[in-house]
Amino acid sequence: MKNLLILIMILSLTVSCNNTGKKSASKSGSNVSLTAAGATFPMPFYNLAFKKYSEKTGIQMTYGGIGSGGGIRSLKDKVVDFGASDAFLSDSELSEMPAPIVHIPTCMGAVVIAYNIPGVDSLKMTPDVLAGIFMGKITKWNDPQIKAINEGLNFPDMNIAVVHRSDGSGTTNIFSDYMSKVSKDWNDNIGAGKSLNWPTGIGAKGNPGVAGTISQTQGTIGYIGSEYAFAQKIQYAKLQNSSGNFINPDVKTVSNAAKGDIPADARIMVTNSSAPDAYPISGFTWIILYKEQDYNGRSKEQAEDVVKFLEWLVSPEGQAIAESVNYAPLPEDAVTVAKNILKTVTFDGKPLLSE
Amino acid sequence: MAQIPAISDSTNRRHLKNVILKVSIIILSLITIVPIIFIIYKIVVNGISQINLDFFVKPSPDSLQAMTALANHETIPGGIANGITGTFLIVIVASLLAIPVGIMIGIYLYENPTSRYSGLIRNISEILQGVPSIVLGVIGYMWIVKNVTNGFSALAGSVALAIMMLPMIIKSTEETMKMIPNEIREAAFAMGVPYHKVIIKVLIPSSISGLSTGVLLSVSRILGETAPLMLTALGSSVINLNITKPTNAVPLLIWEFYNDPNMVKLVWSSSLFLLIFVLSLNIISGRLAKKHKTGRKK
Amino acid sequence: MNSDRLTRTVLFISSLVLLMISAGIVFSLVGGAIPAFKAFGPGFIISNHWNPTSGHESYGALPFIAGTLITSFLALLICLPLAFSTSLFMAEYYRGTRVAGILSSMVDLLAGIPSIVYGLWGFYSLRPLIISLGLNEQGFGVFTSSLILAIMIVPYATSLSTEIIAMVPDELKEAAYSLGATRREVIFNVILPNARSGIIASYILALGRALGETMAVTMLIGNANVIPKGLFSTGNTMASIIANQFGEATGLKLSSLIAIGLLLFAITAIVNSIGKLIISRFSR
Repeated sequence: MKNLLILIMILSLTVSCNNTGKKSASKSGSNVSLTAAGATFPMPFYNLAFKKYSEKTGIQMTYGGIGSGGGIRSLKDKVVDFGASDAFLSDSELSEMPAPIVHIPTCMGAVVIAYNIPGVDSLKMTPDVLAGIFMGKITKWNDPQIKAINEGLNFPDMNIAVVHRSDGSGTTNIFSDYMSKVSKDWNDNIGAGKSLNWPTGIGAKGNPGVAGTISQTQGTIGYIGSEYAFAQKIQYAKLQNSSGNFINPDVKTVSNAAKGDIPADARIMVTNSSAPDAYPISGFTWIILYKEQDYNGRSKEQAEDVVKFLEWLVSPEGQAIAESVNYAPLPEDAVTVAKNILKTVTFDGKPLLSE
Repeated sequence: MAQIPAISDSTNRRHLKNVILKVSIIILSLITIVPIIFIIYKIVVNGISQINLDFFVKPSPDSLQAMTALANHETIPGGIANGITGTFLIVIVASLLAIPVGIMIGIYLYENPTSRYSGLIRNISEILQGVPSIVLGVIGYMWIVKNVTNGFSALAGSVALAIMMLPMIIKSTEETMKMIPNEIREAAFAMGVPYHKVIIKVLIPSSISGLSTGVLLSVSRILGETAPLMLTALGSSVINLNITKPTNAVPLLIWEFYNDPNMVKLVWSSSLFLLIFVLSLNIISGRLAKKHKTGRKK
Repeated sequence: MNSDRLTRTVLFISSLVLLMISAGIVFSLVGGAIPAFKAFGPGFIISNHWNPTSGHESYGALPFIAGTLITSFLALLICLPLAFSTSLFMAEYYRGTRVAGILSSMVDLLAGIPSIVYGLWGFYSLRPLIISLGLNEQGFGVFTSSLILAIMIVPYATSLSTEIIAMVPDELKEAAYSLGATRREVIFNVILPNARSGIIASYILALGRALGETMAVTMLIGNANVIPKGLFSTGNTMASIIANQFGEATGLKLSSLIAIGLLLFAITAIVNSIGKLIISRFSR
């Protein structure tokens, strides 16, 4: 019995060693490896994109979803090649970094409003009602304000249980940024940020926590990242945007939110977009890197690899990968801005991308 | 030494108390088993469907593969080989760091039981046990990721985990050795055996059962730790055996699977793997302990 | 004799390693926590505000201290009778039998279950139970977390105690039996006094584990940053808030989280010393 166990362990180690051998032998001999860390929101997209790029070029790429804060810290400590963040750095945060950094938008995502109401399988929401619910002012499902925007539906006499995120997250950031724009009450009392002083509701950890709580408890309502909701086929509400249309969140309506002017440094929150066919709670996610790549003894080759990868990521090929895992691709304007920013990344003063 | 009470209770009363105790013990032990059975059952039932040979040799799938498989009602492809090799790597390095140091400290405490310095060390060890694993992850990040390997690495993970292992190993070493009858130790010294031989040939074999319990418990604990590895080893989608580079580990994979909407199922099969691994460690250490028994137990 | 000195020195140096590690940890933590203490002063410890809204940022540790202490002690309380009985079962009553062997393996298996799996199991299996018992509408809360913590720390409390109890010399027990003592009397008057130190050590270890447990608690406690109002209401613990917020925290919040980590260190120390004091009183 003991011998059998030892045999099994030796076998598994041998097999795994074989795999490593195979992998390094078949690659085109590139010894470069890129490491990145940051936001959890785009993780499925980044993991897939990194993998495809690895297969394409032989460069080994690693991504760690430790949170946007972790990504910013890691970049600051110069222990990664680039970081990923769901919120762009404010001016004061930028000044705390040891050297200038740039933001590259990589894809878009949205926050959907999920619910579990017995007898209701299609829900419409307006900004006012949403604010009322999440601030604890509207407390029952059969409240006249809810009924007014959902004609024809039968709401039960049930308490509303709000579910929000207990962990700091970019999802919360986008949601609260939107709420601050559409509700003065919210703006004055709660504000925007990755974690908030919630007046009501239960906190659940991560998208799975919120989704799990909502699916298991009747009468709940909460917000979930779109890539999670789309993949899990969770019920979510149509939200009225600033043009008055009730919009169903999907990759198209999310991309539409970025129509319009995007600043040259790509730092913009596109919630509550004025475009008539846009889903109002949408946003970018960014990759951040140092503008001047000659630091810490980095090689020019390494810097080139980073920039070339990012160029590929915002190209149609990279963006198609985003769409395949339920992220909204960048619209034309955003891609142009991203490419322009990439052209400003330098090594030893000279731009890395030839053009 | 022990004291037998004068027979003040009537004999019937004493027997009654005896029986009551035995019954309560059995009932409580059964109650303890109930949640164990439930948890293990859930893990096995949910995890077994995903286990095949691929599970051990292929690296983890990506979200798209999982999504397509789910849509077609197939088993999700890929496996957790990158996590298994990473776990092996990190745990072995952590053990190499923690076990010798922990045992030596335990022996030191046993040999110097009453000094104030020993009291200090003992206290520190107990306090360390209560440090949340994520804080040790932060320490691993600050000490190793920033300063030693200049990037996320398996080594940083091992260091954080090793610190986590120490209190348990120290405690079980000291307490087990205290139970060894003093005569054995003194007899060895009386025969002129040099100190280090006394340790290696007498003290350790006599306490091997307790030592392996301590080691086993600490290894089992770090096998399932996620938070510290997130900040130190970071993760990786390929198999990595270089301790200065980011590596994945089974609990990290479990966390990734949990957060990905398409890969939740894999959480259970990965946990099942950990469970089986811990079981094997148990069996192996049990066998090792038996071999070294000095005939004290029946 | 030289080799003996060498051995002693080596042993001593290993103890220094522990000292250096813990000093290093405290040092690194203090460094990170200073901004928080500078901003809020020592009142940080007893303040129960936790407002992350930028512009109104104010952090305090009291709700989490309360949550940590309540859940950990409750967990230990629940775990004690279970672990104690199981140790006696395996080391005394049914020592050496197959039943004991199986039970022992099962208990040890518990230690190998990743804490996130405990959280998941608690989330999917324990919560509905609490909901159906009507204790809490969504099944979260202090009691649920303590329950799962209790299960998690059983292996730590049991394994070491079992070993220690089993190592009580047979002669002592046989002497007592030969004088006509019942099993219960042997247990309480021979085995326990002898094994007391080891058993208590294992409970302290278990408590330590409970104080620092993160994942499972954070999935079940409801994450309300207030002092829990009752046994079945929600709250939060120090380890859980660190785990929840660390990934995204910067600046003052990050420093507050590190300060909480440091406080947890201090609290574990205090709890340990109080525990030992109480025990030494009892053994008079």
